[in-house]
Amino acid sequence: MNRSARTAGGLRVIRDDPGPAAWNMAVDEALLSHAEVPTLRLYGWTPHAVSLGWFQRAADFADLPPGTPIVRRLTGGGAIHHGDEITFALCVDAELLPREVDASYHLLHDAAIAALREHGIASERLTGGDLPTARPTEKWCFRTPGRDDVVTPAGKLLGSAQRRIAKPRARVLHHGSLVLQRPTLTPFVAAVADTATDPSTAARVREALIANFAQALGLPMHAGTLTATEHAAAERLRRERYEDPGFLRAR
Amino acid sequence: MRPTDCSYLKSHEWCKIENGTATIGITDFAVSHLSDLVFLDLPRKGASVTVGEGFGEIESVKAVSSLYSPVSGEVVDVNKDLPDNLEWLAQEPFKKAWMIKVKVTAKSPDLMTAAAYDAHCKAEG
Repeated sequence: MNRSARTAGGLRVIRDDPGPAAWNMAVDEALLSHAEVPTLRLYGWTPHAVSLGWFQRAADFADLPPGTPIVRRLTGGGAIHHGDEITFALCVDAELLPREVDASYHLLHDAAIAALREHGIASERLTGGDLPTARPTEKWCFRTPGRDDVVTPAGKLLGSAQRRIAKPRARVLHHGSLVLQRPTLTPFVAAVADTATDPSTAARVREALIANFAQALGLPMHAGTLTATEHAAAERLRRERYEDPGFLRAR
Repeated sequence: MRPTDCSYLKSHEWCKIENGTATIGITDFAVSHLSDLVFLDLPRKGASVTVGEGFGEIESVKAVSSLYSPVSGEVVDVNKDLPDNLEWLAQEPFKKAWMIKVKVTAKSPDLMTAAAYDAHCKAEG
């Protein structure tokens, strides 16, 4: 499929129900590897779980409460406790985003900030070159806001990370976690609930995020589901990779 | 113009083949489009690499990117000091920041000259 054919249908939006950690990560990798069209998937986590950045050591999280589900993400950065949040995975050809990683963050984070603002939640993107950056030595993604992070006065509100591949064509997976309620393991984060207590806010913010991402990418949007190929790939990845304790402990 | 004694892939790896051994790294263009680099994962000496397949990964503060091999063969040397000195990638991507050396059994048909790669970068922006 050539570029114009791939983008002709616009942005496929998959609104998934909350799912288990291994399934969530398997679907996102399947989309990165197999999706033929630009795709934005939104989902949640049940049960709540911790995801590790690609290069993090599982042994560094041996102190998690017993029974906490844990999974390795394909994307980098620090660990996230996924509680009540809006999680999204944007899987697109790299040419749909600015070439520079920083610029791609600016585009998507500014779209998220605008979506939040539409529903009365004030946030901003940290700017400046001398802000601390989230180093892998910091275990938690949300602990120390860094350059370009979306923050409120209470802390970091949106955690983001990318995976970029060049084969079979240049593609980007951009993960985002927008906190609705503070997770128990990372109470230092900001949350939508800090300023918006109406229970309908989460759904409205989610729809605003979708609309603003589509607008930022310059694509019309339509609702969709996984194709049979993507679903089969996700099933295989869940079984062989994300549910495999060896894969989790590989680092 | 980038070094003319190197060949290049569209995915921004370079290789320089001398006496059947390829020295491999990533280009200044790749480095400049990542943000602050924080981690580099390279294969061990003795490992095999395959044309077009991943041989390592590099993490910046914001993204993990795969590194693709321009050749097939056995890894005969690894720049062990590079992961602890990632600033070399911005300073000397074609010299001090080489990543691996491979005894070549096959090379990618997609390798480009420096001039063709320069044109590719210009087109990519």
